[in-house]
Amino acid sequence: MSLRDDANGCYPPTEAMLDEPVDEQWQDNSKRRLRDVWKTPAGWRYWSAVNNSEVGKWYCLTAFFFMMCAGVLALAIRVQLAVPENDFLSAGRFNQFFTMHGSAMMFLFAVPLFEAISILILPGMLGARDMPFPRLSAFGFWCFVIGGVFVLGSVLFDAAPDSGWFMYPPLAIESEGIGSDIWLLGLSFIEIASIAAAVELIVGVLKCRPPGMRINLMPLYAWYVLVVGGMILFAFPPLIAGDLLFELQRSFDWPFFDPDRGGDPMLWQHLFWIFGHPEVYIIFLPSIAIAAMVVPTVARRPIVGYSWIVLSAVGTGFLSFGLWVHHMFTTGLPALSLGFFSAASEAVVIPTGIQLFAFVATLMVGRVTLNVPMLFIAGALAIFTAGGLTGVMLALAPFNWQVHDTYFIVAHLHYTLFGGMIFPVLAGIYYFYPVFTKKVLSPRLGKWSFWLLFTGFNITFLPMHLTGLLGMPRRVYTYQTGLGWDWLNLISTVGSFILAAGFLLFAWDLLRPKSREPDTARNPWNAGTLEWTHDVPEEAWGIRSIPYIRSRYPLWDQEKLVERIDAGRFYLADAAEGKRETLVTSVLDAKPIQCMRVTGPAWITLIAALFTGGAFIFPTFHIYTPAVICAVFAGACILYWLWTSTAPIPEQDRKPVGLGLSLPIYASGPESAGWWGVWITMLGDATAFISLVFGFFFYWTTKTDFPPVGSEHANLLFMLLGGAVLLGAWALTLYARDSNTKGHVARARKALVLGIIASFTGMALVIWSVRSTGMDPQAHVYPAIIHALLLWLTAHVAVGVIMQGYCLAGSLFGKLTPRYDADLQNICLFWHFLGFTIVVCVLVMGIFPRWL
Amino acid sequence: MTTKPSSTHKLLTAALVLPLSGCDGLQSVLQPAGKEAAEIATLFHVLLVGAVVLWILVNGIFFYVTRLNPRPLSRRAAETLIIGGGILFPTIVLGILLAWSMSLMSSQRELGNAPVSVSVTGEQWWWRVQYRREDGSLLASANELRLPAGERTEVTLTSNKVIHSFWVPALAGKMDMFPGRVTRLALQPETTGTYRGQCAEFCGTSHALMAFQVVVMEPNDFERWLDDQAAPAKEPEEALALEGRQVFLREGCGACNTVRGTPAAGTTGPDLTHVGGRTTLGAGILPTTPDAFTRWIQHTESIKPDVYMPSYEHLEQSVLEALGHYLKGLS
Amino acid sequence: MKKPSTHDQEEREFGEEVDSLWRIVFSPLVWVFHFLACYIVTAIICAKMPAGDTLAGLRWFILGITLTSLVGIAAIGWRSWKQWGFVDDGVKVQDLPTEEHRHEFLAHASFLLSIVSFIGVCYVAVPAIFLDSCR
Ligand code: HEM
Ligand SMILES: [Cu+2]
Ligand SMILES: [Cu+2]
Repeated sequence: MSLRDDANGCYPPTEAMLDEPVDEQWQDNSKRRLRDVWKTPAGWRYWSAVNNSEVGKWYCLTAFFFMMCAGVLALAIRVQLAVPENDFLSAGRFNQFFTMHGSAMMFLFAVPLFEAISILILPGMLGARDMPFPRLSAFGFWCFVIGGVFVLGSVLFDAAPDSGWFMYPPLAIESEGIGSDIWLLGLSFIEIASIAAAVELIVGVLKCRPPGMRINLMPLYAWYVLVVGGMILFAFPPLIAGDLLFELQRSFDWPFFDPDRGGDPMLWQHLFWIFGHPEVYIIFLPSIAIAAMVVPTVARRPIVGYSWIVLSAVGTGFLSFGLWVHHMFTTGLPALSLGFFSAASEAVVIPTGIQLFAFVATLMVGRVTLNVPMLFIAGALAIFTAGGLTGVMLALAPFNWQVHDTYFIVAHLHYTLFGGMIFPVLAGIYYFYPVFTKKVLSPRLGKWSFWLLFTGFNITFLPMHLTGLLGMPRRVYTYQTGLGWDWLNLISTVGSFILAAGFLLFAWDLLRPKSREPDTARNPWNAGTLEWTHDVPEEAWGIRSIPYIRSRYPLWDQEKLVERIDAGRFYLADAAEGKRETLVTSVLDAKPIQCMRVTGPAWITLIAALFTGGAFIFPTFHIYTPAVICAVFAGACILYWLWTSTAPIPEQDRKPVGLGLSLPIYASGPESAGWWGVWITMLGDATAFISLVFGFFFYWTTKTDFPPVGSEHANLLFMLLGGAVLLGAWALTLYARDSNTKGHVARARKALVLGIIASFTGMALVIWSVRSTGMDPQAHVYPAIIHALLLWLTAHVAVGVIMQGYCLAGSLFGKLTPRYDADLQNICLFWHFLGFTIVVCVLVMGIFPRWL
Repeated sequence: MTTKPSSTHKLLTAALVLPLSGCDGLQSVLQPAGKEAAEIATLFHVLLVGAVVLWILVNGIFFYVTRLNPRPLSRRAAETLIIGGGILFPTIVLGILLAWSMSLMSSQRELGNAPVSVSVTGEQWWWRVQYRREDGSLLASANELRLPAGERTEVTLTSNKVIHSFWVPALAGKMDMFPGRVTRLALQPETTGTYRGQCAEFCGTSHALMAFQVVVMEPNDFERWLDDQAAPAKEPEEALALEGRQVFLREGCGACNTVRGTPAAGTTGPDLTHVGGRTTLGAGILPTTPDAFTRWIQHTESIKPDVYMPSYEHLEQSVLEALGHYLKGLS
Repeated sequence: MKKPSTHDQEEREFGEEVDSLWRIVFSPLVWVFHFLACYIVTAIICAKMPAGDTLAGLRWFILGITLTSLVGIAAIGWRSWKQWGFVDDGVKVQDLPTEEHRHEFLAHASFLLSIVSFIGVCYVAVPAIFLDSCR
């Protein structure tokens, strides 16, 4: 029973209501209106589209393009290593190539592809019309394209990063040229886009499910998206914090990683791998999620062990954060510390195993039909189990000491990446292709490309295990003959070309024109989940009407579901006001709570992405003025976009959405998707902040003299005073919210004005407390980290002020009223996190150093 | 990056190939010659057998249920598979492996107790080596490590500028070398012989060309060798070598390299007092023939890209030959 | 006493459910805390302690938090087991669109996560059995 039954009318719908026929005339009219609203812009305006089906498609294809580029680099690497003492590539170019191969594969392909595929198919699985924040997806996509082209393009100018994809300082910091800056800024830019996508996907899963799809009925894919989205939120921010420190050292010589001035290169390794290991699972889990969709269809029965799979997804998500040091087993940390990470690395095998066995169990109890997607799943299993088993070996520290940083690792990592990502994704593409095109990929070409890929892969990478055991380190541009490596390398090179042929064949099958082929049925594999009700490319609306769901496999279990969807029997079958709409439902039981308006095509996202790109790209060349200008314009674009399209005041309070249900159009606070978006974003932001604070304590633990005796500290009085005033600004913001809710608009405005003043004053005091002393951030790591925290705080307070100003303007111009107060609710949430940041900053900058 | 005409490169690289051929296993994890490496090899063999068996089992089951017998099986069997294969079996097996590796780890981290200890510093791209004898005396060397067989020698590691990793697969696992931080390792070679080590952490352009040899000797021979090393450089006798020494001092080689017993006392590059007696040149990439010395000095930058030593291409061939002769004589 | 209105009751039930959504991550969180405590305390002790001392105190500490964590996880597991109610109704697959199934599903997942977290905590404690120096 819903809390709001009385208010919203009838829910859940009865069978009798669903059985009632839908008026034909109305069907036609509403169909036309809906089609108009969701029309994809044509001609050059096509690129202003923000709909998930378009953005998702571009995103996937771009990621694939980047993969092919990175693959070409890999082939060049293999040619160079085919024979000893080869001079096909010079040392410098080789180093750029392997760095770029790794970085592009990881940052431009493996992680973004998860987001791309999810943006494409998640709304379909959830019977939603679109992602909750379509313009955010488009913005993220454009950022990705700009950043990716920039980073990859550097290879063409012999200016690419060349210190390996984990960029260890001091090497990467000392590295001449702009390669390291390209890596840092280009990829930070993309990481931020990834976080944005993660936020959106989480909100999508939690709030945009179809009515009735309780949490125990969600498609497994959605569970994985939830887990992976959460992991991104906690894994990427440490790297962003690391990037910030790194770039501060490169640009301004703040010595975070310079041992001569108290810094420590190990801090980077920690921050990088706190990100890096979960990242591996961030890549792996979504692909497993695809398998979790394919397997039941192939077995023609529901998945066995749904709860087990949820357990393993959640469990893996947690455990994967306790593994990072297994990439640092040879750094000389105490054996006991290594032991903890070794143990956790073994423990994570258990949920991973459960996951695989659940699939096998499903196939056991089902009646298996073999098709191309299944072939790829089988290949994935064969390859992934091998990679997993070498993973078990590598998690044992003593063995790791031998083969770490050798070709054994190269073999292991490709076995896990191909088995855990490439093959399942290819299976997914063969499987989902008809959803978006009404065509199937050729089974004949599919088999060919499978066997080319599978044999090519094994010929390339199986010998590498032995190459590594025979002592060949990774990342070497050449090797001497006589060490027993020659023939192994030659075999690998031959294999890599077979592998490449497989990819080419696949790409051909994917891209070749298919207009002459007949359309397939809407659900050619006879699958059970909602995405198969799609009627693209004819209809861009996603789903004709948003159904009421009562099963994990509604297409199998709910009679007449598709007919009713198509007849517009269910929710939101019409677009009477000419607005794009989707349903917001409750987290646990998916009770409908709001009819949310989502945004349509716009150029502003592209423009904002261009300026944001400028803000990140100019600093690479150490050009700062245009960078600042771009940043300002980017901020302005985003404000414009928020102002014009988020939480607009609706023309009516609520509207009927069908089946006797009437829902509010506007929501604020926890009811609204936006509030969840802010909450989740701030979780990521807080993680980055905590990573900086971790840096402070890391120096304290590993250095005997941190802070150095007799060093100057920030002025305590000003620091405390400033902190107090900033907390006052927080209190004023909350007060403004409460006054506004109670209808005291004037009082709320006054509080906001005072809040802005307090923010400025408080921040000035804090800055003064640091800058009035002789603390020189270039002199030692202690003043440097204090300055880094100061920078962080200043940037956040600045955002806080902008938000206060935004709400003040909103109130003055009638966009924010006591009834329609989503913006004020959201900025309060931001200020809660800011309050936490302020308190911690004051403690760490002012109090701890004196006390330690 | 400097790009060099590739014909010289070809010619030079041919020289790299010759000396070390025919020594498979020199750098192999699978042919251990030290205590730690042997223990790890045993661990690996057990793991390998287990992995192969498990791989066949899992994929066998999969093949069976999808191809051989695609009819539905009982749900109970499926659940047993999840619980047995997913939880019980791995928990036990992994637990045992974990315990085994922990006990190995504890013994492999035991300190060394040999009378001589070594400290190695990673440089771009070579190894600075220093022996500390029982009497506290220090002895500088480079790009080669000699160890007494049957004893456990403590090796302390650090680095000059960037991270490197010290690795001799036949003897033990690797250990990273950090600037501003000291790490350690103990090596306990069991059989005499020569083993190859190589830098395992990417350290810049010529990371691939940063290797070294470990010569394991009988303890008595080792002591004798140390005594020899402690002596200053041999006086050259032949005219050619004498000329070589003059060139060495005249061309400023001594600004970076030390030859004890001469005014050459630079420390940027390796100590050359006994360079002629080492097994390799240029950190494991050339033999120590007079010819190789000559080539190295003439083409340093193309043999080792971005190296911090200038090429002396302007010197005449005869002068270079004299240098080569002199250096080879420093045994 | 006044009978609680249906509205209050619903609100309370809803609160309980949100709790049980959170509860599925409780056991893994215990694992996280145990793991971090072991790692951080070891890191600090090994960095600040004079070289060569043994780690008796640290190992007792690890034993202590390990036992505490295991008890905690067992308690969460037990609670979930009750909520799942497998012995009562034998339901292993919660795929019906009912509140009861959703309720039991969350409990089931939480129970399974407790098992995995339990094993995880045991594993993380193993190194302390074998290693007693900071080398
Ligand atoms: C055409 C297929 C591929 C081939 C032939 C290939 C080959 C290689 C080789 C030879 C290396 C070692 C380079 C070195 O150590 O010097 C390498 C490294 C790497 N590969 Fe691939 N690879 C392929 C596909 C992939 C894919 C699909 C991914 C990820 C999704 C990937 C991720 C990586 C990463 C992360 C590294 C480490 C780079 C580093 O050391 O910085 N590779 N690859
Ligand atoms: Cu990892
Ligand atoms: Cu190196």
